[in-house]
Amino acid sequence: MHMKKTKKLNVVNLITCIAFFGILIAFPIVTAIAPKETFSDIENRTLQTMPKASVKTIYDRSYMNKLETYISDHFAGRTDWIKVKTAVETMAGKYERNGIYILDDRLVEKVSEPDYTAIDKSISAINKFVENNNVPVYFMLAPTSAEIYREQLPESAPNVNQRDFINYVYGGLSKAVSTIDVYSAMQSEKFDYIYYRTDHHWTTHGAYYAYEAAAKKMGYEPVPEEMYDIEHASDEFLGTFYSKALYDGVEKDSIDIYHYNGGSSVTDVLITSEYGKAPESYDSMYFREYLDVKDKYSTFLGTNQPLVTIKTNSEGGKLLMFKDSYAHCYVPFLTQHYSEITLVDMRYIQMSYKNVVNPEDYDQVMFLYNASSFMTDVNIRKLAYG
Amino acid sequence: MIIYILLPDKINAGKKKPIVIPARNLLILLTGFFFYAWGEPFYMILMLFSTAIDYFAGRFMAKYDDNQKKRTICLLVSVIMNVGLLAIFKYSDFFIDTINSIFKSDITNPIILVNRWINENIYDFGLTEDRVALPIGISFFTFQSMSYTIDLYLRNIKVQKSFIGFTSYVTLFPQIVAGPIVRYEDVAAEINERTVNINKISEGIGKFVKGLAKKVLLANNIGIIWTQIKAMDYSEISVATAWIGILAFTFQIYFDFSGYSDMAVGLGKMLGFNFPQNFDHPYMSKSISEFWRRWHITLGTWFREYVYIPLGGNRKGKGKTLRNLLIVWGLTGLWHGASWNFILWGLYFGVLIIIERLGWGKVLEKLPTPISTLYTFLLAVFGWVLFDTNTLSDAFRYFGAMFGATGVLADSTATYMFTTNIVIFALCIFASTDWFMTLVNLIKKKKEKFVTCATPVLIVAMLLLCTSYLVDATYNPFLYFRF
Repeated sequence: MHMKKTKKLNVVNLITCIAFFGILIAFPIVTAIAPKETFSDIENRTLQTMPKASVKTIYDRSYMNKLETYISDHFAGRTDWIKVKTAVETMAGKYERNGIYILDDRLVEKVSEPDYTAIDKSISAINKFVENNNVPVYFMLAPTSAEIYREQLPESAPNVNQRDFINYVYGGLSKAVSTIDVYSAMQSEKFDYIYYRTDHHWTTHGAYYAYEAAAKKMGYEPVPEEMYDIEHASDEFLGTFYSKALYDGVEKDSIDIYHYNGGSSVTDVLITSEYGKAPESYDSMYFREYLDVKDKYSTFLGTNQPLVTIKTNSEGGKLLMFKDSYAHCYVPFLTQHYSEITLVDMRYIQMSYKNVVNPEDYDQVMFLYNASSFMTDVNIRKLAYG
Repeated sequence: MIIYILLPDKINAGKKKPIVIPARNLLILLTGFFFYAWGEPFYMILMLFSTAIDYFAGRFMAKYDDNQKKRTICLLVSVIMNVGLLAIFKYSDFFIDTINSIFKSDITNPIILVNRWINENIYDFGLTEDRVALPIGISFFTFQSMSYTIDLYLRNIKVQKSFIGFTSYVTLFPQIVAGPIVRYEDVAAEINERTVNINKISEGIGKFVKGLAKKVLLANNIGIIWTQIKAMDYSEISVATAWIGILAFTFQIYFDFSGYSDMAVGLGKMLGFNFPQNFDHPYMSKSISEFWRRWHITLGTWFREYVYIPLGGNRKGKGKTLRNLLIVWGLTGLWHGASWNFILWGLYFGVLIIIERLGWGKVLEKLPTPISTLYTFLLAVFGWVLFDTNTLSDAFRYFGAMFGATGVLADSTATYMFTTNIVIFALCIFASTDWFMTLVNLIKKKKEKFVTCATPVLIVAMLLLCTSYLVDATYNPFLYFRF
């Protein structure tokens, strides 16, 4: 009897040993033989390559550090391991990961308290711009999903009140600026699909409500939404929030393209991809090659570029827009009302905007930013250099 | 990650059938060197040098067995060299900073000057820091080496003739980074003679994985809370935030430190060594004296054996006992780090222990267990404030926040930290007690088969979970949103 017992214990112990060493040996081997990627789409960064050993690199430990990074970057089943952790954490009641809150049916970003001295610089730069240029200026500061769905945030989760922030900015702008209240529009349509669940942008549908809210103020009737043919270009979109949180409990997003066949059409899309370079011409605002890669939002006007000019056969005037990427799915709605729309991204403009555009050549100027990017963008202040 | 790379070596060591101890010691030694060089390529030389001195000090002591004078010189060489290394690499910056602040002078640490001179005149190692870099594990390997020469001097142990044998003891890689402080006496027999079998290896695996889980699942995660709160402005945080912060650290340091110790003990078991236990549920203690018999046990033993008792212990009158206690506790504090916070932290416990010895301990014994446990726990928590704030004035401002100096009882920060971390706090409390083992033993009595079979499953599950947490720590999405 006693003998039998020890024997059984031995078998169990043997299993423990085999399992333990098996795991510890299997992972390095699988990691070593598995094919290596050089770039991680989901993390949007280049992965560590195999470092070279030398006296210098071993001495200053850079060889060891890089080798460790190399192993972890190429660790077998990396993202799946991380998903296990996310799942365990959410089970344990922790709904925040890498600056992303996990809500019931969506991911939203954690927006930290902004630096108000920086904000004041942006505001006064815009006021300076208004002073320097004799042209009507419109301003749209959009809330992000973190604000619209704030009541779903975890209990007491820190998150800036964007409504107060928007009011602060609007209050600081010169009286000559016509501010557009897009906050109420988004708030009242919150049960619609107006923000992506896994990305930091608004959807085309959300952008439509913003367009509707701005239209009257800017002097035209919006095209009714039912007049559009809506194309579901993709329903496999997993955006930046997903990459950060690696949480699978949220439905994938779809990319919708709105087509309007009744009115005017786009004749030319000129994109200056590098400051000072000649623009390249495209025949569409949609770059469908992005539908097949991770960054599907770039289907709308491609990635961020310093200068984009869209020409249409409409009878309307000319619009100059200073913007962030929220504008990319918003602009297509405007093509019915303007003959020319120029988009300027201040993050890619060195020195003065006057080097690329003269605002007085335009009939209207519009600023379109979302609250989160306006809080952190230090390039808006460059508008003061006229 | 390092463990993964090191493991194949260790299996060889563990499974070589004809047990050739010198070969295995050599393997341990090489692994130890590799491991150490991985973290500290430059200080390898330092460690080799100190090991060689201690080894020869031991050999000479044995050679001049009947010449007490020469033996004393050998001991002094070893102790001065080891304490000297600590003084230079661990305490010189602190010492010079203190002098500079008292005399308002501006002396540069001579070590830094030497360092710069080497860089400029011999070889540019790229060492440009203004502070002396602390060699990994220096506090541990110096103390271990000293335990050998002191015990040899006191004739408690026999000399180690094999250089490989001795060096493998100093570089025993499982514990070189974070203890336990294995006294030579503890493993003297096992260095020369030890056996390895499946049962021991499996026991070691269990211990190792338990330690890994403590470190990776508990310490690292609860540590995030403390990292956040520690960085806040202590004159603005609420009472609840301050308490959540320091409680988080209380658990972080325990699971971090005891996790490392468990891993070391486990690896030791796999190699055939029985390292001493370093922690024994310290937060269940009913007095501070008991707390220190359960917390970092090997350090306490070391100071008792090599400082307190040689100084006369408690056998030379009340005055001397008091002096000895204060010396030991001041040094214990200083051992943890070179700053006034640590010294004060050590003395704080020294004073508490003296008070307990003066009769308060008797009172504590009579109190109901929950009260004396809470008493001890809270005093330990207050100790951690001293331990982990950066300066003494920070420590006192933190105490202020804990007792309402900011006038806010709780705010949304505290609520959020509490609600999102309630599970991990509960787990930490549970894991600080011996309830889990009690429960296991209870089940074992009724369903032994179940426990036997569930153990490997639990071990593998924990190992995999730890892997996922470790992999996640390297996940680094580079998406500062380009709107």
